[in-house]
Amino acid sequence: MVSDYSQYAWLIPLFPLLSFLILTAFGRQTKEFGVYISIVAGFISFVIALLIFFERLGGNMENYTWNQFEWLKVGDFSLSMGFEVTNLNALMLVIVTLVSLVVNIYSKGYMHDDDRITVFFSYVALFTFSMLGLVISVNVLMFYIFWELVGVCSFLLVGFWYFKPEAKAAAKKAFIVTRIGDVGLFIGMLLLFWYMPAHALDFTSIHNAIMDAKIPGNIVTLIAILIFVGAIGKSGQFPLHTWLPDAMEGPTPISALIHAATMVAAGVYLVARTYDIFSASPTAMTVVAVIGGFTAIFAATIGVAQNDIKRILAYSTVSQLGYMMLALGIGAYTAGIFHLFTHAFFKALLFLGSGSVIHAVHTQDIHEMGGLAKKMKVTTWTFAIGALALSGIVPFSGFWSKDAILSAAWHGHPVLFWVGLIAAFFTAFYMSRLFFCVFAGKAPNGQKAHESPFSMTMPLVVLAVLALLAGFVFTPFNPWMGTWLTGDAVDEDANWAVMILSTLVGFAGIGLGWLMYGKRSIPVDFISGKAPWLHTLLYRKYFIDELYDVVFVRSLKRIGQWFNRFDDYVVDGAVRALARGGFAIGQLGTRLQNGQVQSYGLIMLLGLLILALVLAGGRFI
Amino acid sequence: MIDQLPMLTLIAFSPLIGVLILLFVSKENGRAIKVIGIATTMIPLLLSAWLYADFLTRTAVGFQYSEQHEWLRIALNHEMLGDQIKSFIYEFKYNLVADGLSLPLVFLTALVGSMAALASVLIKKRWKTYFILFLLLEIGMFGVFLAQDLFLFFLFFEVTLVTTFFLIGIWGYEKSVQAANKFLIYNGIGSAVMLIAFFIIVNTAGYTQENGPDGLVISYSGDLHAIMNNLFSDTNAMVHVQPDPQQFNPFFLSNTMKWTLFIMLVVAFGIKLPIFPFHTWMLKVHMEAPPSVVMIHSGILLKMGAYGLIRFGILLFPEQAKGWAVVLAVLGVVNILYGAALAFVQKDFKLVLAYSSISHMGIVLLGIAALNPTGLGGAVFQMVSHGLISALMFLIVGCLYERTKTTTLSELGGLAASIPFISGILLVAGMASLGLPGLSGFVGEFLSFLGLFATMKGIATVGILGIILAAVYVLRAVLRITFGKRPESMAGFRDARLVEAVPMIVLVAFIVLLGVYPAVLSHPLNQSLIGFDQLIQTLNLKIGG
Repeated sequence: MVSDYSQYAWLIPLFPLLSFLILTAFGRQTKEFGVYISIVAGFISFVIALLIFFERLGGNMENYTWNQFEWLKVGDFSLSMGFEVTNLNALMLVIVTLVSLVVNIYSKGYMHDDDRITVFFSYVALFTFSMLGLVISVNVLMFYIFWELVGVCSFLLVGFWYFKPEAKAAAKKAFIVTRIGDVGLFIGMLLLFWYMPAHALDFTSIHNAIMDAKIPGNIVTLIAILIFVGAIGKSGQFPLHTWLPDAMEGPTPISALIHAATMVAAGVYLVARTYDIFSASPTAMTVVAVIGGFTAIFAATIGVAQNDIKRILAYSTVSQLGYMMLALGIGAYTAGIFHLFTHAFFKALLFLGSGSVIHAVHTQDIHEMGGLAKKMKVTTWTFAIGALALSGIVPFSGFWSKDAILSAAWHGHPVLFWVGLIAAFFTAFYMSRLFFCVFAGKAPNGQKAHESPFSMTMPLVVLAVLALLAGFVFTPFNPWMGTWLTGDAVDEDANWAVMILSTLVGFAGIGLGWLMYGKRSIPVDFISGKAPWLHTLLYRKYFIDELYDVVFVRSLKRIGQWFNRFDDYVVDGAVRALARGGFAIGQLGTRLQNGQVQSYGLIMLLGLLILALVLAGGRFI
Repeated sequence: MIDQLPMLTLIAFSPLIGVLILLFVSKENGRAIKVIGIATTMIPLLLSAWLYADFLTRTAVGFQYSEQHEWLRIALNHEMLGDQIKSFIYEFKYNLVADGLSLPLVFLTALVGSMAALASVLIKKRWKTYFILFLLLEIGMFGVFLAQDLFLFFLFFEVTLVTTFFLIGIWGYEKSVQAANKFLIYNGIGSAVMLIAFFIIVNTAGYTQENGPDGLVISYSGDLHAIMNNLFSDTNAMVHVQPDPQQFNPFFLSNTMKWTLFIMLVVAFGIKLPIFPFHTWMLKVHMEAPPSVVMIHSGILLKMGAYGLIRFGILLFPEQAKGWAVVLAVLGVVNILYGAALAFVQKDFKLVLAYSSISHMGIVLLGIAALNPTGLGGAVFQMVSHGLISALMFLIVGCLYERTKTTTLSELGGLAASIPFISGILLVAGMASLGLPGLSGFVGEFLSFLGLFATMKGIATVGILGIILAAVYVLRAVLRITFGKRPESMAGFRDARLVEAVPMIVLVAFIVLLGVYPAVLSHPLNQSLIGFDQLIQTLNLKIGG
């Protein structure tokens, strides 16, 4: 089948790039107009992405690859740039452009009063461009380039309110922690380059090389794990998860963008894109699954004890990304991507909803909110849909994707299955805690809240519809998405046991949350009163930040200071000593030239004497 | 048309025009002096851009521009050696060559030279002397990258030394005289070592004898081509003839001697680069020299060290380089990590940049140590890129100091609010410096590490950890200056004036260009690297067999 639209996929990142360039060049003069440029550009990209998506839905299409632009050729290294459209890419293009468009529209209302609104929109445009470029990358280096650009954009946006010390610290942390992961990917890429036949780095060649087993097994494992280190950094997996919750310092629409469609999705997407390499190494797969599973439950437990609405959502992102990694690690490729897909919608929804709440009450602490259900109808309803989807309640989208992952784990990975199930309980619990604290009960004294403007509620409604319906593309009863993504027929039976278990667990979590925070029939300090250490441990996020501070930050500072002293006293000291020596010899020389003719004569005489002695001595040797 | 013109001479000596005009301008007329000084630097910039564009159209492998003239012939007493010898001379040629290795650096010199000339508007006194020295310095730098005769190279090298000495000493900050002295002593030692090494090379590898019509013609040549020809192509050259009891051969270069020469060259150029532990002089220079001079110094002069190391150290003694590849790589890693750790704790922004230069030059060393075209290509990329980035950084330092009167990090802060344009450029420069893809720094880093990875995976991996540290120290300094709360003392500044903004934008444009489309630099490079590759391969055969 001829690709009518896929060949124009390069236009999709182009529009956000243009909008970035225009806004950067004319920035402050454009004001309101700049915002519209951004929204229109985002809309065009979204339309093209949709066209490509539907084109690919239509038939069994080949991947479309264009790889003609010679970018760099030095010595053995030669690389062409281009773009590639596969079914996975097409799906991602839709997710990214859609979420980005929605965030753009929402931000028009949310950021209305900020004087740097055009700067904000230009950063968002650059962010979208980078993520789209990453999605259609044709080779690993191009992927890495956009990968880093995504990182820097999230840095810029997290630090958007640069005058706030917290924003500054969070931006710095986001950049540096993810960079640690990037180094893994970087080394993996170099290793791949030297082991690939003909030093090719494009995804097609990688696929072929792995299929023909051209790379030794242990090297494949090493490469896969190094690539995964990159994904750990970007997707906020343990132990590099610490930046993601701090990234809440950015404006809330950005949190939606980062957590749903761009930054953190990039890590999962990376593993999916290089899935051939992972599949070839059972060890690497196990690592991915275990890290994912651990992160899922680890972050979910932290989420239980946080009070900041955005932080709770942030830890839930970390946890959900863990699910996706878990899925990819146990070979449930479609389930992992599916969860990325549904999660993008309901997480964007939840963040934008929380933004709407924060916009109204000007606090982020859930204990300082309450009773918003009466004042903010749209926000409440949409937020409830998002929360139910996240908690995995049938028939919301999150249920289907989480169920797909748990069913896959059920077969042969009992430990990971139970880990996932328990994490699901915590998820349901912290979401219902959040929901009842914010929307139920009574408003704190004097708090006046009102519904947000249409430009903010409209995106909420759109996302709520998607969060409700998106799950139906891949249910055990209708698994066409799996067939479409992988090309193989998926014959998944409905696993009723898993469905019932996960539903029960979900209701149990919500129920407990309702009893504690909604009905208040169980005291809030029911557990924290009995085991305050547990609460502290969770509230302080297992003290990971403190640990890193001591182990890495302070020790680096100390090493630097030692070196500084060493440089000053030893290295430069040696030079100074040498210079002093030279100076002393020079002074000796000047003393000789003191203008006293007698001393010159004396030295001359001495010299002659020595010369004579040498000559005389030479004769006897 | 370009073939008929002596382009290389025109580029190298066009700044003289400005010097001559300036001699007739009153030293009080600051405005005219500045205009003439800046305008003059545009001539070599345009010429070298033209030459570069022309080079991009050439596809012949190993293509180069060259100009050769008789220059210095010192006749020696040939009768002393007997009747059969008809001529006995020292021959130094005026031999200028621009190949894929030197042309990018020539263009970089012209570009950074012009931008630094623009930044020289910040200079407050004695403009006439300043610009005359500045233009002479530019001639010296062009000469260094173009000269392919050892003596000519040395002359140009010394020109840069003397002019820089005065530029630092007279127009620098409080302790500039001390810094200038340290600069002179250190680099003087380097030059001395280089001179001795060159002298030995000319007298051994530069020796040729030919049968003329009337008898033997003997010459010592400083011409790099003659020397390389003797060393690598002409297996009968005297430099290869083992002396034995019957025949004494003073022209023979023993292995020991080659090693000595190689190490001397590493030291001589290592001081300039600088390689740890020879780096302390450049800290002072970065601290005390005026920003426009540091732009040149950090942007171009340091590159002379790397260039000399490649051109003379590696290309003349590839076997020794191969033997020392691990040493060079380890030194490179030490530079990277040591520089980065120190940059992290500095209290003054200029010192952060100084140590970051050390760290970045470590990557150049790594690329060189890889001894394959990929790595060497990376080294040159890194040189050009660092030239652009550090020039931009010190331009910003100059502009900041104009306003804030301090570069101490703890006194700065929140400048993004008062001078958003300069702060934005600083952020871009910082991102380029930490190797963000899409900007020039990444390509050099990537290729250097890629090249080294082929031969020394372990060392390369340790070096790569440096890119985390780069992010740490760059962000610490840049965010300290631009982000955060703004102290009272940091309010009310004017954002960049046109004369400041133009060089910033130009430099950023080139940084982006190299990052987005590196083929503009890799094309000329490749043509030279192919020749280099052959050299290495024949050597491998020789060593292997």
